[in-house]
Amino acid sequence: MFNSISNNFGAGTIQFKDYQEENYVVLNAKFTYNTTSPEYQAADVLEIKVPDLMIDRSADTGVFARFVDRQVRPTYTMNYDSGTVIRSWIKDKNTICLEKFAPLECAEEIIVYIQAMYVGKHKDSTASKISKTYATFTQPTKYLYTSDVICVIHEHWVFFHCTFSSVSYAYRDLPWEATIQGLPTDFALDIPFPGGYCQGHDNMDGLSEAHIENGVFTNEERVSGWGSTGYTPFLFFVAVRDTE
Amino acid sequence: MESAAATRNCSMKVIPSIAFGEFSGTAGDVTARTIGGQTILNHKAYQAKTKTPSQASSRNTLSKVSRAYKQLTDSQMKAWGALAEHLKGISTFGKAAEMTAHNAFVRINANRQMVGMSLLEDAPEYKNDIPEVDWDEIWVTPKRVLLTGIVNPTGTYKLVVKMSAGQGVGVSSGWSKTVIITPGMADNWGDAALTQLYTKKIGFMPAVGDKVFIELYWLEPSTGFVGETMRTTRFCISEEQAHEEGFEERVEYTLDNVSPESHVSKLDVDFTTGAPAISFDTVCLGHSNVASSEVYPEDGIPISMEGSCYVLGRGAGEGKISAQSYQVQFFSSYDPRIVFAHRGGDYIKPSEVFGAGPYYK
Repeated sequence: MFNSISNNFGAGTIQFKDYQEENYVVLNAKFTYNTTSPEYQAADVLEIKVPDLMIDRSADTGVFARFVDRQVRPTYTMNYDSGTVIRSWIKDKNTICLEKFAPLECAEEIIVYIQAMYVGKHKDSTASKISKTYATFTQPTKYLYTSDVICVIHEHWVFFHCTFSSVSYAYRDLPWEATIQGLPTDFALDIPFPGGYCQGHDNMDGLSEAHIENGVFTNEERVSGWGSTGYTPFLFFVAVRDTE
Repeated sequence: MESAAATRNCSMKVIPSIAFGEFSGTAGDVTARTIGGQTILNHKAYQAKTKTPSQASSRNTLSKVSRAYKQLTDSQMKAWGALAEHLKGISTFGKAAEMTAHNAFVRINANRQMVGMSLLEDAPEYKNDIPEVDWDEIWVTPKRVLLTGIVNPTGTYKLVVKMSAGQGVGVSSGWSKTVIITPGMADNWGDAALTQLYTKKIGFMPAVGDKVFIELYWLEPSTGFVGETMRTTRFCISEEQAHEEGFEERVEYTLDNVSPESHVSKLDVDFTTGAPAISFDTVCLGHSNVASSEVYPEDGIPISMEGSCYVLGRGAGEGKISAQSYQVQFFSSYDPRIVFAHRGGDYIKPSEVFGAGPYYK
């Protein structure tokens, strides 16, 4: 765990949970920035100064950036939360960079979720393989149906991916909860939850937030077009485990 | 700049002044002038009528830049004149030369335009701190042109490479035959893969035993300044000999070593991370009516590399920028290929697929 030293886009202090080795770094952080701030507007690339990292340069990796947009109607509220993936990389051992992505400037407050691995290139050794494990969503009453559930478990981090193929109609608009059997229980994260058509921002699609703690997945609400065919909702994160 | 000069047909002959004492002017294709007490006969110079597309483009650029000079204010011209004084006689542009304000303006801006930078109206502050290009090895085989171990001191310099077609062993100076292979590329983590660019410019790869002339220099895009030109030659050797001499192929797939039939417009799949992940930076175009893109490596995929990754994607181009997930699968048998299979989010064509994907079996 470490805190940022400074940044050039007015985000305040950012706390990182980390796992680092000679050739790669796994980082977890959640923070916000304001696209109307003078610091953000003056920056070409969003740079976070941090204490020494174990790698001094990385290739681009993907992190999620989303914003909250609720539009209140007389009898209901539309959930137009949206966002997408932006590039992030390590520029030098003291600088983590984020792409300044103009389409996100349609919103004032942007929430960034760094749950990613950063690797370098042209090292002396090739990538090593890790065994995958299967994980399953279990519920007292089954209403969530998933596919492409992949869990790669390392002693210090875990990678998880799944897509949601359907949900029982009666549970469509209710809060969800499921235990993910096979997923390590030693981390807690707010995770981005992409999927669903977003009428308010139809160039980006819906992007909600879910939570995983003690191996239990919870999600309070989703974008208004969540069930749209073809907008397959999915989870994708690399989490640092509390193994120290 | 040099290509314009190279298109002039000019053969000169110095003859004793006693024979053509006061002769000057043009007769037919011959022009005479007297310099230093000697009369010099020239064949009349003509600009070549035929132009390659790159020559035409280069002349257009120079012509536009040259015209722009006339729009400068007097103080701007004066500043370019001062810069020209610094540059005069210095081989910053690869050769020592007299330099006027106009020359400096055209050369700096032509350099900038090569790498897509806009016209600089105000002369940059003179700095002579761009180093020579430092590299480990240049591999030239009938299959590849690759520079390795390039050290980019600032990370911002762009590499300019000029190369000749394969020449006979007896050719001692082929520098006039070099053409710009790349007008300013960023090195890829110390490598510069030039195979595609070479075949595009030269038209064919050299044969084993051919001698290739190579010129290299750094270009600083913000100022248009360039560093000292490094000149070297390489004999084209076989792939086998390259391996014997220490060439180790990286397990990396780029547009240089996959079939053009692949469904990508940008490709960088790098296994040399030394980590339990593969690095991706690709633009997937999709194919048929299937939500996936396939890549066909020319030399297949080693069986030990079979496996999968998941990696994030984002819609690219003019349309949607939806977040997506892709499963990337590496198949070595029967039909060796890399498949970028869409899994999560709204499937968009084209899409950027990038990031470190944990590598599993």
